[in-house]
Amino acid sequence: MISALPPLAMQAGANRVVQGVKIEHVCGDPALPAEEDGAVRRRLVERGLRALTTAVDGPTLFDGAELR
Amino acid sequence: MDDRALRAGHYLNQFFAGIGGEERAGTPPRITDGPAGPGRAIQGLLGPGGVVVSTLVCGDNYFNEQIDAAVEAVRGWLTAQRPDVVIAGPAFAAGRYGRACIEVCRVAADLGIPAVTGMHPENPGLLMYRQAYVVPTAANAAGMAPALTMMVRLARKLGGGHPAGPVDEDGYLPRGVRRPGMRARPGAQRAVDMLVAKLRGQPIRTELPVEGYEAVAPAPPVTDLARATIAVVTTGAIVPKGNPDHLKRCSETRWQRYQLEGRRRLTADEFECVHGGFYNVPASENPNVVLPLDALRDLETSGTFARLADFYCTTTGNDQRFADCVRNGKEIGELFWRERIDGVLLVAT
Repeated sequence: MISALPPLAMQAGANRVVQGVKIEHVCGDPALPAEEDGAVRRRLVERGLRALTTAVDGPTLFDGAELR
Repeated sequence: MDDRALRAGHYLNQFFAGIGGEERAGTPPRITDGPAGPGRAIQGLLGPGGVVVSTLVCGDNYFNEQIDAAVEAVRGWLTAQRPDVVIAGPAFAAGRYGRACIEVCRVAADLGIPAVTGMHPENPGLLMYRQAYVVPTAANAAGMAPALTMMVRLARKLGGGHPAGPVDEDGYLPRGVRRPGMRARPGAQRAVDMLVAKLRGQPIRTELPVEGYEAVAPAPPVTDLARATIAVVTTGAIVPKGNPDHLKRCSETRWQRYQLEGRRRLTADEFECVHGGFYNVPASENPNVVLPLDALRDLETSGTFARLADFYCTTTGNDQRFADCVRNGKEIGELFWRERIDGVLLVAT
């Protein structure tokens, strides 16, 4: 799950949570130039896909460390 | 017998009816006149004001393994007997019996007959139908007497045509139903009293209990992303322009699916955001910031994953009832199961 509010998502029991940008634009940032906005979005989706391939025991935040 | 005596029907499993234990759990449904087993105690509690007119007995395995036939038997029994109220169990912590009792309550409700059962709050049968009136019991039959007392009290009330009172007055498990009502004092005063009591370390009782979330076991990881089919879901109310299915801005009970086939990105000409719980202009101007189709297509093309499902699902995650959320999640999950989706990306706004 990509969520702007990971603590809520994890409290509710979501097991793989990626920190999104903002509630109004979870997957991107319209304030950025289109290219950078697209890059943000792509990074978040990649992180979500990476989360799907990762075994977890319970609610886990994927903060990007695994991509570095 | 008094003409106005309450006519109760009672459901029992093979064990409590005295037919036998596990070796007789395959017993098909059978009807006996009058009370049996704990039904005799129910008769005693009803006194002259009520009578257990008929008892349906069914083996726990039969009920659970041949659920359609069992449900039909319950329906036939209730249609023929037309009791004023149905009492099922109590089932205590017995899962199969609990399931059966809950299904009896569901069939009775379908037929407009009030029904009461009793079971331990952790009986898995409870999950099958939340709307049943269920008196909490001990885990085993040692708690029979208090369970029957509470069940009969509630059965008498419902069977007499009176609506159930609040959960804490009538002693049943929360059904997730809220009804409007009057209180003697305004909410502000009650809230301040509650706060003062809390600050003093005194016990308080909330008027709005938050439903506990079910712990969901994590799904196993996708083992081979490069060969996986991925689907995308959002609670962000991204819909085709003009909102053809009238997805609500808030308090939505349903979900919708829309085609993605042949699209590389979502455009503002064709899609919009109708979520009423946040400022939705950015998402209407570029719906990809909520439903990231452009990024997903890039990653599909580059081979990061094999295929994006050719549709997405959406609802409006704003002031939704917990029960609707659970149902929507189940329905969408079942759809993905049928469509052989390997992994799902959920964007929650």
